[in-house]
Amino acid sequence: MWMVNLRVTSNARRVALVLAVVLILGLFLLPGQLQSVFQGVGGPLGWIISWPLSVVAGVHDRIGGVWDSYVALQGMEDENRLLKRELELLKEQNGQLRESAAATERLAILLEFKKQALPILIAAQVIGRDTGNWYKTIILDKGASDGVQPDQGVITPAGVVGRIVKTTASTAVVLLVTDSNNAIAGLIQRTRDEGIVEGTTQGQARLKYIPLLSSARPGDRVVTSGLVEGFPRGLAIGTITRIDKEEEALFQSAELTPEVDPNRVEEVLVIQSSPVPTEKERLSLPKPKP
Amino acid sequence: MKTLIYGAIILGIVPIQSVLLPHLTLWGVKPDLGVVAVCLIGLINGELDGLLVGIAVGWALSLFSAQDVITGAMLKGALGFAAGLAGRHVVYLSPLVLVSGLLVVSCLVSLVTPFVLRLNSEQDLWWAIWNVALPQACLDAVIGGAIYWLMWSQFNIEQLMSESRM
Repeated sequence: MWMVNLRVTSNARRVALVLAVVLILGLFLLPGQLQSVFQGVGGPLGWIISWPLSVVAGVHDRIGGVWDSYVALQGMEDENRLLKRELELLKEQNGQLRESAAATERLAILLEFKKQALPILIAAQVIGRDTGNWYKTIILDKGASDGVQPDQGVITPAGVVGRIVKTTASTAVVLLVTDSNNAIAGLIQRTRDEGIVEGTTQGQARLKYIPLLSSARPGDRVVTSGLVEGFPRGLAIGTITRIDKEEEALFQSAELTPEVDPNRVEEVLVIQSSPVPTEKERLSLPKPKP
Repeated sequence: MKTLIYGAIILGIVPIQSVLLPHLTLWGVKPDLGVVAVCLIGLINGELDGLLVGIAVGWALSLFSAQDVITGAMLKGALGFAAGLAGRHVVYLSPLVLVSGLLVVSCLVSLVTPFVLRLNSEQDLWWAIWNVALPQACLDAVIGGAIYWLMWSQFNIEQLMSESRM
Protein backbone atom coordinates (compact mmCIF):
# COMPACT_ATOMS: atom_id res chain seq x y z
CA MET A 1 0.00 0.00 0.00
CA TRP A 2 1.21 3.53 -0.69
CA MET A 3 1.30 6.07 2.07
CA VAL A 4 0.62 9.34 0.30
CA ASN A 5 0.64 12.92 1.58
CA LEU A 6 -2.64 13.96 0.01
CA ARG A 7 -2.32 17.71 0.67
CA VAL A 8 1.00 18.17 -1.15
CA THR A 9 0.02 15.76 -3.86
CA SER A 10 -3.24 17.55 -4.53
CA ASN A 11 -1.25 20.82 -4.98
CA ALA A 12 1.00 19.16 -7.53
CA ARG A 13 -2.09 17.68 -9.14
CA ARG A 14 -3.70 21.11 -9.33
CA VAL A 15 -0.60 22.61 -10.94
CA ALA A 16 -0.49 19.75 -13.46
CA LEU A 17 -4.17 20.21 -14.26
CA VAL A 18 -3.83 23.98 -14.77
CA LEU A 19 -0.77 23.47 -16.97
CA ALA A 20 -2.52 20.82 -19.03
CA VAL A 21 -5.60 23.04 -19.51
CA VAL A 22 -3.44 26.04 -20.51
CA LEU A 23 -1.54 23.95 -23.07
CA ILE A 24 -4.70 22.42 -24.51
CA LEU A 25 -6.34 25.86 -24.78
CA GLY A 26 -3.19 27.18 -26.44
CA LEU A 27 -3.23 24.29 -28.87
CA PHE A 28 -6.83 24.99 -29.90
CA LEU A 29 -6.80 28.80 -29.83
CA LEU A 30 -3.28 29.67 -31.06
CA PRO A 31 -1.91 26.58 -32.82
CA GLY A 32 0.30 28.50 -35.26
CA GLN A 33 1.83 30.75 -32.60
CA LEU A 34 2.39 27.83 -30.20
CA GLN A 35 4.03 25.88 -33.03
CA SER A 36 6.45 28.70 -33.82
CA VAL A 37 7.23 29.20 -30.09
CA PHE A 38 8.03 25.49 -29.68
CA GLN A 39 10.06 25.43 -32.90
CA GLY A 40 11.92 28.65 -32.01
CA VAL A 41 12.75 27.69 -28.42
CA GLY A 42 13.56 24.23 -29.74
CA GLY A 43 16.63 25.66 -31.53
CA PRO A 44 18.86 25.81 -28.43
CA LEU A 45 17.39 22.53 -27.13
CA GLY A 46 18.16 20.87 -30.46
CA TRP A 47 21.69 22.32 -30.37
CA ILE A 48 22.27 20.84 -26.88
CA ILE A 49 20.85 17.45 -27.90
CA SER A 50 22.98 17.41 -31.07
CA TRP A 51 26.10 17.01 -28.88
CA PRO A 52 25.25 13.62 -27.35
CA LEU A 53 23.73 12.68 -30.72
CA SER A 54 27.04 13.35 -32.51
CA VAL A 55 28.99 11.46 -29.84
CA VAL A 56 26.74 8.39 -30.03
CA ALA A 57 26.73 8.53 -33.86
CA GLY A 58 30.55 8.75 -33.86
CA VAL A 59 30.91 5.73 -31.56
CA HIS A 60 28.32 3.85 -33.62
CA ASP A 61 30.21 4.60 -36.88
CA ARG A 62 33.53 3.46 -35.40
CA ILE A 63 32.02 0.18 -34.22
CA GLY A 64 30.39 -0.21 -37.65
CA GLY A 65 33.75 0.50 -39.33
CA VAL A 66 35.53 -2.14 -37.26
CA TRP A 67 32.76 -4.63 -38.04
CA ASP A 68 32.86 -3.91 -41.78
CA SER A 69 36.69 -3.98 -41.95
CA TYR A 70 37.41 -7.09 -39.95
CA VAL A 71 34.34 -9.15 -39.12
CA ALA A 72 32.13 -8.97 -42.20
CA LEU A 73 34.79 -9.99 -44.75
CA GLN A 74 33.22 -13.36 -45.56
CA GLY A 75 32.17 -13.73 -49.18
CA MET A 76 34.50 -10.92 -50.22
CA GLU A 77 36.07 -12.98 -53.02
CA ASP A 78 32.74 -13.62 -54.74
CA GLU A 79 31.78 -9.99 -54.35
CA ASN A 80 35.14 -8.94 -55.81
CA ARG A 81 34.60 -11.11 -58.88
CA LEU A 82 31.10 -9.68 -59.39
CA LEU A 83 32.37 -6.12 -58.99
CA LYS A 84 35.13 -6.69 -61.56
CA ARG A 85 32.56 -7.93 -64.05
CA GLU A 86 30.36 -4.92 -63.28
CA LEU A 87 33.38 -2.62 -63.75
CA GLU A 88 33.98 -3.99 -67.23
CA LEU A 89 30.37 -3.32 -68.15
CA LEU A 90 30.51 0.18 -66.71
CA LYS A 91 33.72 0.94 -68.63
CA GLU A 92 31.94 0.04 -71.83
CA GLN A 93 28.94 2.18 -70.89
CA ASN A 94 31.28 5.01 -69.93
CA GLY A 95 32.81 5.01 -73.39
CA GLN A 96 29.38 5.27 -74.98
CA LEU A 97 28.40 8.06 -72.60
CA ARG A 98 31.57 10.01 -73.38
CA GLU A 99 30.61 9.89 -77.04
CA SER A 100 27.11 11.14 -76.23
CA ALA A 101 28.52 13.87 -73.98
CA ALA A 102 30.85 15.09 -76.73
CA ALA A 103 27.95 15.22 -79.17
CA THR A 104 25.78 17.08 -76.65
CA GLU A 105 28.56 19.59 -76.03
CA ARG A 106 28.93 20.29 -79.72
CA LEU A 107 25.18 20.79 -80.08
CA ALA A 108 25.05 23.04 -77.02
CA ILE A 109 27.77 25.29 -78.43
CA LEU A 110 25.98 25.24 -81.74
CA LEU A 111 22.76 26.45 -80.17
CA GLU A 112 24.68 29.08 -78.14
CA PHE A 113 23.47 27.71 -74.83
CA LYS A 114 25.30 29.00 -71.82
CA LYS A 115 27.10 26.27 -69.96
CA GLN A 116 24.98 25.35 -66.97
CA ALA A 117 26.76 26.18 -63.71
CA LEU A 118 26.69 23.56 -60.97
CA PRO A 119 24.57 24.35 -57.94
CA ILE A 120 26.25 25.06 -54.60
CA LEU A 121 26.36 21.82 -52.63
CA ILE A 122 27.00 21.19 -48.93
CA ALA A 123 28.42 17.79 -47.99
CA ALA A 124 26.83 16.26 -44.90
CA GLN A 125 27.00 13.01 -43.01
CA VAL A 126 24.02 10.92 -41.90
CA ILE A 127 24.11 10.65 -38.09
CA GLY A 128 20.73 9.11 -37.35
CA ARG A 129 17.26 8.01 -38.45
CA ASP A 130 13.79 9.27 -37.56
CA THR A 131 13.04 9.10 -33.84
CA GLY A 132 9.55 7.75 -34.56
CA ASN A 133 7.93 5.14 -36.79
CA TRP A 134 5.58 7.33 -38.82
CA TYR A 135 8.01 9.02 -41.17
CA LYS A 136 11.06 7.85 -43.12
CA THR A 137 13.71 10.44 -42.43
CA ILE A 138 17.44 10.72 -41.86
CA ILE A 139 19.28 13.20 -39.62
CA LEU A 140 22.25 15.13 -41.03
CA ASP A 141 25.18 16.65 -39.14
CA LYS A 142 24.74 20.03 -40.85
CA GLY A 143 22.09 22.56 -39.82
CA ALA A 144 20.93 26.16 -40.05
CA SER A 145 24.36 27.51 -39.06
CA ASP A 146 25.85 25.80 -42.14
CA GLY A 147 23.25 27.34 -44.45
CA VAL A 148 20.89 24.36 -44.55
CA GLN A 149 17.22 25.36 -44.72
CA PRO A 150 13.85 23.62 -45.06
CA ASP A 151 12.80 22.68 -48.63
CA GLN A 152 16.36 22.29 -49.91
CA GLY A 153 16.96 19.13 -51.93
CA VAL A 154 19.28 16.35 -50.77
CA ILE A 155 21.12 14.11 -53.24
CA THR A 156 24.00 11.68 -53.63
CA PRO A 157 25.98 11.27 -56.87
CA ALA A 158 23.58 8.40 -57.67
CA GLY A 159 20.39 10.43 -57.38
CA VAL A 160 17.75 12.09 -55.22
CA VAL A 161 17.59 11.22 -51.50
CA GLY A 162 14.89 13.57 -50.23
CA ARG A 163 14.08 17.03 -48.98
CA ILE A 164 14.99 18.98 -45.81
CA VAL A 165 11.91 19.43 -43.62
CA LYS A 166 13.32 20.68 -40.34
CA THR A 167 16.57 22.16 -39.05
CA THR A 168 18.22 22.98 -35.74
CA ALA A 169 21.46 24.97 -35.49
CA SER A 170 23.66 21.95 -36.19
CA THR A 171 21.37 19.21 -37.55
CA ALA A 172 18.77 18.80 -40.29
CA VAL A 173 15.97 16.29 -40.87
CA VAL A 174 15.54 14.95 -44.42
CA LEU A 175 12.19 13.45 -45.51
CA LEU A 176 13.20 10.59 -47.82
CA VAL A 177 11.91 10.16 -51.36
CA THR A 178 10.45 6.80 -50.22
CA ASP A 179 8.21 8.43 -47.59
CA SER A 180 4.59 8.51 -48.67
CA ASN A 181 4.24 12.11 -47.41
CA ASN A 182 6.90 13.35 -49.81
CA ALA A 183 6.15 14.63 -53.33
CA ILE A 184 8.71 15.59 -55.99
CA ALA A 185 7.94 16.62 -59.55
CA GLY A 186 9.36 13.95 -61.86
CA LEU A 187 9.84 13.46 -65.58
CA ILE A 188 10.18 10.23 -67.59
CA GLN A 189 13.46 10.76 -69.39
CA ARG A 190 12.54 8.92 -72.60
CA THR A 191 8.96 10.08 -73.15
CA ARG A 192 9.26 13.52 -71.43
CA ASP A 193 5.97 12.90 -69.59
CA GLU A 194 5.71 14.63 -66.24
CA GLY A 195 4.20 13.41 -62.99
CA ILE A 196 4.54 13.50 -59.22
CA VAL A 197 6.84 11.06 -57.43
CA GLU A 198 5.55 9.94 -54.04
CA GLY A 199 6.87 7.33 -51.63
CA THR A 200 4.93 4.17 -50.81
CA THR A 201 4.40 2.39 -47.51
CA GLN A 202 6.56 -0.48 -48.85
CA GLY A 203 9.63 1.78 -49.03
CA GLN A 204 9.51 2.23 -52.81
CA ALA A 205 8.28 5.19 -54.88
CA ARG A 206 5.43 5.78 -57.32
CA LEU A 207 5.13 8.20 -60.24
CA LYS A 208 1.54 9.45 -60.37
CA TYR A 209 -0.48 11.41 -62.92
CA ILE A 210 1.23 10.08 -66.06
CA PRO A 211 -0.93 10.93 -69.12
CA LEU A 212 -2.99 7.99 -70.42
CA LEU A 213 -1.41 8.21 -73.88
CA SER A 214 2.14 8.01 -72.53
CA SER A 215 4.25 5.14 -73.87
CA ALA A 216 6.17 4.75 -70.59
CA ARG A 217 7.37 1.21 -69.93
CA PRO A 218 9.36 -0.70 -67.30
CA GLY A 219 13.04 0.22 -67.43
CA ASP A 220 12.42 3.92 -68.18
CA ARG A 221 14.38 6.30 -65.96
CA VAL A 222 12.61 9.03 -64.02
CA VAL A 223 14.44 12.30 -63.27
CA THR A 224 13.50 15.55 -61.51
CA SER A 225 11.57 17.95 -63.72
CA GLY A 226 12.79 21.12 -62.00
CA LEU A 227 9.19 22.26 -61.42
CA VAL A 228 9.50 22.36 -57.64
CA GLU A 229 11.87 24.23 -55.41
CA GLY A 230 15.01 22.49 -54.24
CA PHE A 231 15.83 20.26 -57.22
CA PRO A 232 17.20 21.37 -60.60
CA ARG A 233 16.08 19.45 -63.69
CA GLY A 234 17.64 16.10 -64.57
CA LEU A 235 18.59 14.48 -61.24
CA ALA A 236 17.93 10.72 -61.23
CA ILE A 237 15.04 9.60 -59.00
CA GLY A 238 14.46 5.98 -60.00
CA THR A 239 13.66 3.38 -62.64
CA ILE A 240 10.15 2.27 -63.57
CA THR A 241 9.48 -1.36 -62.63
CA ARG A 242 5.72 -1.60 -63.31
CA ILE A 243 3.03 0.44 -65.03
CA ASP A 244 -0.45 0.51 -63.45
CA LYS A 245 -3.31 1.45 -65.74
CA GLU A 246 -6.78 1.26 -64.21
CA GLU A 247 -9.96 1.19 -66.27
CA GLU A 248 -11.73 4.53 -66.56
CA ALA A 249 -8.88 6.28 -64.72
CA LEU A 250 -7.77 9.66 -66.05
CA PHE A 251 -4.08 8.93 -65.49
CA GLN A 252 -1.76 5.98 -65.20
CA SER A 253 0.86 5.50 -62.52
CA ALA A 254 4.18 3.68 -62.33
CA GLU A 255 6.06 1.92 -59.58
CA LEU A 256 9.69 3.02 -59.23
CA THR A 257 12.79 1.57 -57.67
CA PRO A 258 14.68 4.56 -56.26
CA GLU A 259 18.25 5.06 -57.52
CA VAL A 260 19.45 5.60 -53.95
CA ASP A 261 18.81 3.05 -51.22
CA PRO A 262 17.93 5.38 -48.35
CA ASN A 263 18.64 2.70 -45.75
CA ARG A 264 22.30 2.52 -46.76
CA VAL A 265 23.06 6.14 -47.48
CA GLU A 266 25.89 7.56 -45.29
CA GLU A 267 27.01 10.79 -46.95
CA VAL A 268 24.82 13.20 -48.88
CA LEU A 269 24.93 16.57 -50.63
CA VAL A 270 22.47 19.34 -49.80
CA ILE A 271 21.59 21.59 -52.74
CA GLN A 272 21.97 25.02 -51.18
CA SER A 273 21.22 27.03 -54.27
CA SER A 274 20.89 26.56 -57.95
CA PRO A 275 22.38 29.33 -60.17
CA VAL A 276 20.06 28.19 -62.93
CA PRO A 277 16.46 28.99 -61.87
CA THR A 278 14.05 26.08 -61.66
CA GLU A 279 11.03 26.10 -63.97
CA LYS A 280 8.86 27.38 -61.11
CA GLU A 281 11.26 30.22 -60.32
CA ARG A 282 11.57 31.05 -64.01
CA LEU A 283 7.81 31.19 -64.53
CA SER A 284 7.25 33.30 -61.41
CA LEU A 285 9.80 35.97 -62.47
CA PRO A 286 8.05 39.29 -63.20
CA LYS A 287 8.06 40.18 -66.89
CA PRO A 288 10.05 43.34 -67.75
CA LYS A 289 7.86 46.28 -68.70
CA PRO A 290 8.23 47.49 -72.30
CA MET B 1 18.87 14.42 -8.23
CA LYS B 2 15.46 13.95 -9.84
CA THR B 3 16.09 16.93 -12.15
CA LEU B 4 19.45 15.46 -13.18
CA ILE B 5 17.85 12.13 -14.02
CA TYR B 6 15.12 13.85 -16.04
CA GLY B 7 17.75 15.94 -17.86
CA ALA B 8 19.77 12.82 -18.70
CA ILE B 9 16.63 11.11 -20.01
CA ILE B 10 15.70 14.09 -22.21
CA LEU B 11 19.25 14.42 -23.58
CA GLY B 12 19.90 10.71 -23.94
CA ILE B 13 16.65 9.58 -25.48
CA VAL B 14 17.24 11.20 -28.90
CA PRO B 15 20.64 9.54 -29.62
CA ILE B 16 19.36 6.17 -28.42
CA GLN B 17 16.14 6.44 -30.42
CA SER B 18 17.73 7.68 -33.66
CA VAL B 19 21.12 5.92 -33.69
CA LEU B 20 20.90 2.70 -31.69
CA LEU B 21 17.26 1.59 -31.88
CA PRO B 22 17.08 1.36 -35.71
CA HIS B 23 19.14 -1.83 -35.17
CA LEU B 24 16.50 -3.22 -32.78
CA THR B 25 13.42 -3.38 -34.96
CA LEU B 26 10.47 -5.73 -35.27
CA TRP B 27 9.18 -5.81 -38.89
CA GLY B 28 10.96 -2.53 -39.46
CA VAL B 29 9.35 -0.85 -36.44
CA LYS B 30 11.40 0.34 -33.50
CA PRO B 31 10.22 0.80 -29.92
CA ASP B 32 9.31 4.26 -28.67
CA LEU B 33 11.43 4.73 -25.55
CA GLY B 34 9.70 8.08 -25.02
CA VAL B 35 6.41 6.29 -24.33
CA VAL B 36 8.11 3.88 -21.92
CA ALA B 37 10.02 6.60 -20.04
CA VAL B 38 7.06 8.96 -19.75
CA CYS B 39 4.71 6.18 -18.58
CA LEU B 40 7.14 5.03 -15.89
CA ILE B 41 7.85 8.58 -14.69
CA GLY B 42 4.13 9.37 -14.59
CA LEU B 43 3.33 6.16 -12.73
CA ILE B 44 6.10 6.51 -10.17
CA ASN B 45 6.32 10.28 -9.69
CA GLY B 46 2.80 11.53 -10.39
CA GLU B 47 0.98 13.57 -13.02
CA LEU B 48 2.96 16.84 -12.80
CA ASP B 49 6.30 15.11 -13.42
CA GLY B 50 4.67 12.93 -16.08
CA LEU B 51 3.22 15.95 -17.85
CA LEU B 52 6.39 18.08 -17.79
CA VAL B 53 8.82 15.30 -18.71
CA GLY B 54 6.34 14.08 -21.34
CA ILE B 55 6.22 17.51 -22.99
CA ALA B 56 10.02 17.83 -22.91
CA VAL B 57 10.66 14.32 -24.24
CA GLY B 58 8.00 14.66 -26.96
CA TRP B 59 9.39 18.05 -27.95
CA ALA B 60 13.00 16.79 -28.10
CA LEU B 61 12.05 13.70 -30.11
CA SER B 62 9.96 15.62 -32.62
CA LEU B 63 12.82 18.10 -33.24
CA PHE B 64 14.67 15.16 -34.81
CA SER B 65 11.74 13.77 -36.77
CA ALA B 66 9.42 14.99 -39.52
CA GLN B 67 6.66 14.93 -36.90
CA ASP B 68 4.94 18.18 -35.96
CA VAL B 69 6.58 19.59 -32.79
CA ILE B 70 3.36 20.51 -30.98
CA THR B 71 1.73 17.13 -31.62
CA GLY B 72 4.75 15.25 -30.33
CA ALA B 73 4.99 17.36 -27.17
CA MET B 74 1.24 17.27 -26.45
CA LEU B 75 0.84 13.51 -27.03
CA LYS B 76 3.69 12.59 -24.71
CA GLY B 77 2.60 15.21 -22.15
CA ALA B 78 -0.94 13.84 -22.12
CA LEU B 79 0.44 10.33 -21.77
CA GLY B 80 2.56 11.30 -18.75
CA PHE B 81 -0.41 13.05 -17.16
CA ALA B 82 -2.66 10.02 -17.74
CA ALA B 83 0.01 7.68 -16.37
CA GLY B 84 0.22 9.85 -13.24
CA LEU B 85 -3.56 9.68 -12.79
CA ALA B 86 -3.52 5.91 -13.32
CA GLY B 87 -0.65 5.48 -10.86
CA ARG B 88 -2.72 7.18 -8.17
CA HIS B 89 -5.43 4.52 -8.41
CA VAL B 90 -3.21 1.46 -8.58
CA VAL B 91 -2.49 -0.15 -5.23
CA TYR B 92 0.02 -2.76 -6.35
CA LEU B 93 1.84 -2.65 -9.66
CA SER B 94 3.47 -5.91 -10.74
CA PRO B 95 5.66 -6.12 -13.88
CA LEU B 96 2.92 -8.17 -15.56
CA VAL B 97 0.28 -5.48 -14.96
CA LEU B 98 2.70 -2.85 -16.22
CA VAL B 99 3.48 -4.83 -19.39
CA SER B 100 -0.24 -5.21 -20.18
CA GLY B 101 -0.86 -1.54 -19.43
CA LEU B 102 2.01 -0.41 -21.65
CA LEU B 103 0.79 -2.65 -24.46
CA VAL B 104 -2.66 -1.05 -24.38
CA VAL B 105 -1.40 2.53 -23.88
CA SER B 106 1.22 2.30 -26.62
CA CYS B 107 -1.41 0.89 -29.00
CA LEU B 108 -3.82 3.72 -28.16
CA VAL B 109 -1.16 6.42 -28.62
CA SER B 110 -0.13 4.86 -31.94
CA LEU B 111 -3.73 4.83 -33.10
CA VAL B 112 -4.31 8.46 -32.16
CA THR B 113 -1.13 9.55 -33.97
CA PRO B 114 -2.22 8.98 -37.61
CA PHE B 115 -5.39 11.03 -37.04
CA VAL B 116 -3.54 13.87 -35.33
CA LEU B 117 -0.70 13.94 -37.87
CA ARG B 118 -3.13 13.73 -40.83
CA LEU B 119 -1.02 11.17 -42.67
CA ASN B 120 -1.73 10.46 -46.33
CA SER B 121 -4.34 8.14 -47.83
CA GLU B 122 -2.00 5.13 -48.07
CA GLN B 123 -1.56 5.10 -44.31
CA ASP B 124 -5.07 4.16 -43.21
CA LEU B 125 -6.19 2.75 -39.84
CA TRP B 126 -5.53 -0.92 -40.68
CA TRP B 127 -2.12 -0.13 -42.06
CA ALA B 128 -1.40 1.81 -38.85
CA ILE B 129 -2.57 -1.06 -36.60
CA TRP B 130 -0.74 -3.90 -38.34
CA ASN B 131 2.41 -2.13 -39.47
CA VAL B 132 3.17 0.30 -36.67
CA ALA B 133 0.88 0.19 -33.62
CA LEU B 134 1.04 -3.51 -32.74
CA PRO B 135 4.77 -4.17 -33.30
CA GLN B 136 5.65 -0.94 -31.49
CA ALA B 137 3.32 -1.71 -28.59
CA CYS B 138 4.86 -5.20 -28.20
CA LEU B 139 8.38 -3.78 -28.12
CA ASP B 140 7.40 -0.95 -25.74
CA ALA B 141 5.72 -3.41 -23.38
CA VAL B 142 8.72 -5.77 -23.32
CA ILE B 143 11.25 -2.96 -22.78
CA GLY B 144 9.06 -1.18 -20.20
CA GLY B 145 8.45 -4.46 -18.36
CA ALA B 146 12.17 -5.24 -18.32
CA ILE B 147 13.09 -1.78 -16.96
CA TYR B 148 10.35 -1.96 -14.32
CA TRP B 149 11.37 -5.50 -13.34
CA LEU B 150 14.97 -4.30 -12.89
CA MET B 151 13.80 -1.39 -10.74
CA TRP B 152 11.42 -3.67 -8.85
CA SER B 153 14.13 -6.19 -8.04
CA GLN B 154 16.76 -3.57 -7.10
CA PHE B 155 14.70 -0.93 -5.30
CA ASN B 156 11.59 -0.82 -3.16
CA ILE B 157 9.26 0.64 -5.78
CA GLU B 158 6.32 1.19 -3.39
CA GLN B 159 8.52 3.21 -1.07
CA LEU B 160 10.01 5.12 -4.00
CA MET B 161 6.53 5.99 -5.20
CA SER B 162 5.28 7.26 -1.84
CA GLU B 163 8.51 9.20 -1.21
CA SER B 164 8.48 10.91 -4.57
CA ARG B 165 4.88 11.99 -4.09
CA MET B 166 5.45 13.59 -0.69
